[in-house]
Amino acid sequence: MPAATKPTADKPAIRTDWLSKTLAGLLLGLSLALIASGLLMARLDGMPLPVSGQLAMWLVPPVWLLVLSLVYFFRSGLRAWAWLLAANALALGLWWWLR
Amino acid sequence: MRADYIRIYKSVHTWTGILAGMALFIAFYAGALTVFKEPLRRWSTPPAALVQPIPLDDVQPLIVQTLKTTPEAVRRGVTLRLEGGQAIPRLDWQVRAAGADDHDASATRHYSAMLAADGGVQVREAPPSRLVEFIDVLHRVVGLPTDSDPHRWIMGVICVLYLVALVSGVVVLLPSLVKDFFALRVGRNKKRMWLDAHNVVGIVSLPFHIVMALSAVVFAWHDQIYAVQDRLIHQGQWSQGLARPQGGPDFMRGFMPERDPARMLPPSRLVQAARAAAPGFEPTGLQYLQVTGLRPVVRVWGQNPQGIAPRALGGFAAIDPYTGDVQSTDFLPGAQNTPNLVISSFFALHMASFGGAVVPWLYFLLGLAGAWLFYSGNLLWVESRRKAQRKGGALPVQRRDTALMAAATVGVCVGCMAGISLTLAAAKWLPGRVSDMAAWHMGVYYTVFFASLVFAFWRGAARAAAPLLWLAAACTLAVPASSLLGWLLPASGAWADGASLGVDLTATAGALALAWMARATARRVQGGAQDSVWSAGNATTKSEEKQAVALTQ
Repeated sequence: MPAATKPTADKPAIRTDWLSKTLAGLLLGLSLALIASGLLMARLDGMPLPVSGQLAMWLVPPVWLLVLSLVYFFRSGLRAWAWLLAANALALGLWWWLR
Repeated sequence: MRADYIRIYKSVHTWTGILAGMALFIAFYAGALTVFKEPLRRWSTPPAALVQPIPLDDVQPLIVQTLKTTPEAVRRGVTLRLEGGQAIPRLDWQVRAAGADDHDASATRHYSAMLAADGGVQVREAPPSRLVEFIDVLHRVVGLPTDSDPHRWIMGVICVLYLVALVSGVVVLLPSLVKDFFALRVGRNKKRMWLDAHNVVGIVSLPFHIVMALSAVVFAWHDQIYAVQDRLIHQGQWSQGLARPQGGPDFMRGFMPERDPARMLPPSRLVQAARAAAPGFEPTGLQYLQVTGLRPVVRVWGQNPQGIAPRALGGFAAIDPYTGDVQSTDFLPGAQNTPNLVISSFFALHMASFGGAVVPWLYFLLGLAGAWLFYSGNLLWVESRRKAQRKGGALPVQRRDTALMAAATVGVCVGCMAGISLTLAAAKWLPGRVSDMAAWHMGVYYTVFFASLVFAFWRGAARAAAPLLWLAAACTLAVPASSLLGWLLPASGAWADGASLGVDLTATAGALALAWMARATARRVQGGAQDSVWSAGNATTKSEEKQAVALTQ
């Protein structure tokens, strides 16, 4: 988080941006969670699929909902989208590289 | 933390909590009871339907005969229940209606087989007591009547809101956590006291709630997540693995001789093999699957206080019934490898299927505390949205939405408790009098529930709360009263069962607690601060404006 600045009455430092932040959390959080489960599958290569597949499924809700819950800490909806897109791209790149 | 964040997360907490609160109350109250499914099942089963156990291997003729003469039983798989080291001489199986949802227990027909006096197998349809299943459905789909796909999606959305409400609640509380946590300010400011209690209960049971929220999201949407992962990550291998037929390739059927069930090992040998596979494992049932096919297996189900059970029923060892070889310990509590143990623990943490006898009671109390958390959260929302009384001024007219929210909260929460209690008590009166038990249990519950809701909206929250709490106390007292009446007057058709006395005692304690709440609420409504949702005020005249005031107070 950026260093705290005193919000002033005429220019609030943090925009609420309910819709865009919520959508960013729901959509990009879910995609990030799915990519994270892909990364986990890449790490669990030797394990039988019925077991590793279950672990990968269980990973999705925590990652997704943690992103959704914390998305309102971003200072604006635009920043939420930018940072989460970057995180998605990074994770996707890592996945490609691991495969 | 900056005040901005607190303010934003307060809004998040408020709205997610308001949207999910009442549904979660029902899920938690019914869920707390679901922990004690088996005692409740025993309590609600007529004594005539109880079969006395016999020595373990004496059931082998029944098993062999049934599997030889009833193809449907072989196909569906039969279950034998064990009790105290002996076996109940009855085999059960279930047939699901074609095309029915695989979670919908109401679409399943139950059959059982017993040996007749002449040695033949007697098969009959044996509908189980629907009570426990109905309470479980209320728990699983937040108060909706059937466990279907759309209802589970609603439940999934509620659970997402629930988790966001949990995290945002922690964010709001964090800055003042140390200061507020040990401060339960009991005193004149009732709202402050409720808020403190809401915070303490929320923080103390936070790990429990995080576990519940995350696992419930999985229970709601695992099919969809698997489907997406199958396409994106597993390249279709996941669905292929599931589609593999259990009994071997079909084209081989004609060439392979069917296995003869008479050559299976007796139950005692199978139980012995399972016990040997995991120390501390105590078998409770045997499930015979595909025993005439190419991959015959008996699942020896049971509990192990030293292990982590993957299902509410416990876990199982998969054993070849002809050789006694243990085929798999993936689901056997006490003998799983680490990855399977991790997966099992997700289930066990939701269903309290670990740690022996204390954990279910802990979950029961945490579940009730969770229900109270949502009830208090809604009422705090109402209290903080009321227009405050100016010093020396008259009571202001309240906004309609807060009044409706207060009435809905009281009606849904107290109505749910009263409805569940009465449908529980009805289990001792319905057998022999009605044919469709499932419909009656549902009817009793929803009648009480909706009547309470209508009453709450009609009278307003404050005036409805105490009468509804008295109703809930009376309905709960009907549970032990039914047993007592059955004991005193066997002709009534009800019955008392010493083995399920715990249910009667717990219900008595619950009825006393509800009566205490009813008294406290009534006192507050009459004598408490008038500037509160818990005040009936002094609206004695019946003018329309005064009525509106009464509704909101």
